[in-house]
Amino acid sequence: MRLVGATLYALRIPFVEAFSHSATERRWSDSVVVRVRDDAGTEGFGEGAPRPYVTGETVETMLEHLGRDLWPRVAGRDLPPAGHLPGLATFLPETYLAGALAPNAARAALELAMLDCALRRVGRPMASVLPPRRTRVTYSGVVTAGSVERAVQHARRMRAIGMRHVKVKVGFDDDVARVTAVREALGPGVTLRLDANGAWTFERAVAVLDAVAPLGIAAVEQPLPRGPVDDLARLRQATPVPVMVDESLVTEADADALIEAKAADFFNVRISKCGGLARSLAIAARGSAVGVGVQVGSQVGETAILSAAGRHLAAALPEVTFVEGSFGTLLLAEDVSVESVRFGHRGEAPLLTGPGLGIRVVEERLRRRAITVRELSTEG
Amino acid sequence: METKTVRALFERQVEAFTGSPEFAALEAGCGDYDAFIENVARAHLKSPQLVAFLYALAPPAAARDLLGNLLEELGLEAESERPHPALLEDLLRAAGLGHRLVEVEARAADDVRRIVTEPLLYSALREVGLAALTEIVAFEFMLSRVSGRMARALATHRGLAAPALEWFTHHSEVDVRHAEQGLADLGAYAAYYEFTDDEALTIVEMTLRENVFTRRYFRDATAAGTPR
Ligand SMILES: [Fe+2]
Ligand SMILES: [Mg+2]
Repeated sequence: MRLVGATLYALRIPFVEAFSHSATERRWSDSVVVRVRDDAGTEGFGEGAPRPYVTGETVETMLEHLGRDLWPRVAGRDLPPAGHLPGLATFLPETYLAGALAPNAARAALELAMLDCALRRVGRPMASVLPPRRTRVTYSGVVTAGSVERAVQHARRMRAIGMRHVKVKVGFDDDVARVTAVREALGPGVTLRLDANGAWTFERAVAVLDAVAPLGIAAVEQPLPRGPVDDLARLRQATPVPVMVDESLVTEADADALIEAKAADFFNVRISKCGGLARSLAIAARGSAVGVGVQVGSQVGETAILSAAGRHLAAALPEVTFVEGSFGTLLLAEDVSVESVRFGHRGEAPLLTGPGLGIRVVEERLRRRAITVRELSTEG
Repeated sequence: METKTVRALFERQVEAFTGSPEFAALEAGCGDYDAFIENVARAHLKSPQLVAFLYALAPPAAARDLLGNLLEELGLEAESERPHPALLEDLLRAAGLGHRLVEVEARAADDVRRIVTEPLLYSALREVGLAALTEIVAFEFMLSRVSGRMARALATHRGLAAPALEWFTHHSEVDVRHAEQGLADLGAYAAYYEFTDDEALTIVEMTLRENVFTRRYFRDATAAGTPR
């Protein structure tokens, strides 16, 4: 099986409601979807979400990197057999992108597309390369930024849906009041996590966490900006709230350094951020081996493609404490697949059992929602 | 649940809808009229089925109204009436979009398929019914106030004659009554199924958290408000 063509779609799918957190505010999905085609006409779809403040990629540099650096090195070559995920991952060469931490969104998009294509070609589901260990996945809700009043309104909605795990975005002047109000609206039966997106100083982190710890906080995500791992290790000693790393964990080298410094209780593993399924599995395994908990995270505004990949990862990992994503049309004005990937009551969602990633992408929707479409061929 | 609160929410949505750039374009002669007509048809072709579903869940105090709505949707309320989906088909044909009918029907059917197959957000039919009733009453409310303007825009800028626009004119005349009944029915539903005010309002707000009218009628608009 040889890859003979690819199409890149830079999407702009509006959100039904603006979604904001402390580092940025977004009103639409700006994922890049990759469609690959093999010599038998089989198609596969992958997706990456470029985030300047996470991997350093933008939509533009991601498109460029895919077209100039990644695609030419896989186009026309014989792909390894579908049943071998690590083989597929090493088939994709290591590349570098100037000014970026790692071109991981680009890599993830292409890896997922190749995997989807390879599996579809032989009519096999993801379970054949990534056997699930559970029959369904339970997602967390997210209470976004905005006024405390709005946060409470969101928390009530989470409660109406029966969500069992909720994460609140923090990093504002009113963090303590915000978390207190959200806890009250959720009631005691829901686990509560915080995500500061690196907005706090060390002192502010300690102060807020001390104040809210009695409310029962399961973890705080990225309390400090990405920086020296020793700062995180020190904070971990200074607060009773378990520390989760997100922006600090992009590469496998990051994972090693964080483990070495004992800087994290949890890893937030996200497929787009970590450069694909194979690397996400590797990072999660490194964490699990030393007792670091794992969250399968998501990208705000991801389409059904990344959600599907996240579902497979969350179902397959030996240990996973929290899972995020699969908001589908709760967030997007329109999703890209025939099947809805949106979670249901209590945040629960079934496994996806169809061939490849288990969803059928509607190409017409990609085309309609794209602001840029680029065709790549073997001729380059 | 206070009807007053729900009415205020509906009013705000109608205002946002008529204040949207897409609606302004429609009235100014520079809208995408064909897409608009198709979207209206897609949004309402399956109304009889949705109303039938709500009739099945209706509490005693609202059952008569919902049965009335259903008969009207089916064109069975009076001798001269036609089923509402037939009015939408007329609209498409008169607009020269008859060849699109199969596709629009398929999309409307797919919208139902999606609702039916997607995991339920709520734990019981009681909540599902409240969300569905909210949406249908919201449309009645909006149409009773705005469908005349939409019909005028289509007549002026798309050259459609009165018979083609009967779906719009029908809803503007009849639905003033429906909209008021609808609000009362929502209250009756919430009371009968013993929702607390907070519970009911949370579901109503969640259903209306986006502008349902803009979403259905201008579905390809971007977040920035400008069609691509
Ligand atoms: Fe009707
Ligand atoms: Mg995060």
